Amino acid sequence: MASETIATVDLDRKLQEESPQAILEYALAQFDEIAISFSGAEDVVLIDMAYRINPDLHVFSLDTGRLHPETYRFIDRVREHYKIPIDVLFPDAGTVNKLVREKGLFSFYRDNHQECCSIRKVMPLKQKLLTLDAWVTGQRRDQSPNTRAHLPVIQDDRAFSRPGETLTKFNPLSNWSSAQVWDYIRANEVPYNELHDRGFVSIGCEPCTRPLGPNQHEREGRWWWEEATKKECGLHGANLESK
Amino acid sequence: MKITLVKKILADGSPCAKCGDVLDKLESSGQIKQIDEIIVADERNPESPGARLARDLNVERAPFFVVEWDDGSQTVYTVYLKFVKEVLGGQNSAADEAREILENSNDLDFL
Repeated sequence: MASETIATVDLDRKLQEESPQAILEYALAQFDEIAISFSGAEDVVLIDMAYRINPDLHVFSLDTGRLHPETYRFIDRVREHYKIPIDVLFPDAGTVNKLVREKGLFSFYRDNHQECCSIRKVMPLKQKLLTLDAWVTGQRRDQSPNTRAHLPVIQDDRAFSRPGETLTKFNPLSNWSSAQVWDYIRANEVPYNELHDRGFVSIGCEPCTRPLGPNQHEREGRWWWEEATKKECGLHGANLESK
Repeated sequence: MKITLVKKILADGSPCAKCGDVLDKLESSGQIKQIDEIIVADERNPESPGARLARDLNVERAPFFVVEWDDGSQTVYTVYLKFVKEVLGGQNSAADEAREILENSNDLDFL
């Protein structure tokens, strides 16, 4: 494992210099059991890029049961546009039922969104990732300078790996800005979620997403009632140096 | 098998909250006996053993566990409940493990 870790770090340094398309090409060439995580938002660019490399894509989407109708329509439009299957994943009904019975449908406004997201997103994601050797996300550094400042292009995903095995996570858009993503969408006439035309930047579940005004960061469109998360467990260099 | 726990010490000398919580759980369950070594990543000292190990293994959060298996291979666990289930043979709910994963990964909820 140690040597694999070092290899991933070295590879990340190399791939940091590459375009998202080159990173995707590398990822798709290296792994057979690899899938793209599609949120129903501007990460559709990954599907477009990957489709041009190899149309035989494996795409999955997490349906929390609380998405906007526009997002459901968009997921289906993408499926039809690219003529690809999209594996729509659902949360465990019994676990959702227990949460809702005990805390109601909007507990995230009173507590925080972690419990609901864990049940509706992370649990089905974990089940899916147990079947894969690698996965691809649309995460970008500019989505949150605080928590994604060190987002690698390729990383060992230790949280979701199968026992005794490795899982590789690719973030090909890590170094792209929102503007670059939208330039690509327009230049290549990629279909996009109609909510973007109504001021939504980051799109998640309907109760936890709102449109933004001028000069608001996209993070302000999600879970706006919560305070910024403390990160005292972080071990980035900045946490350890000069203190 | 050798198990090493790396915990973080904050600038004021106190353990990080998650490290304290994990240590409490290990103590109360008796599983602390299965931990062979505890080393510290000290915010005040980038060259502390835990900080150096974190850099070597490319780990970004504490606490974490390093398991050296009898065949010489090594596994790093950054999720406590995953470590308990896979290494110590403990039981936990899928929802609790998912919650811990999310709390450790501030960006997963944006997927």
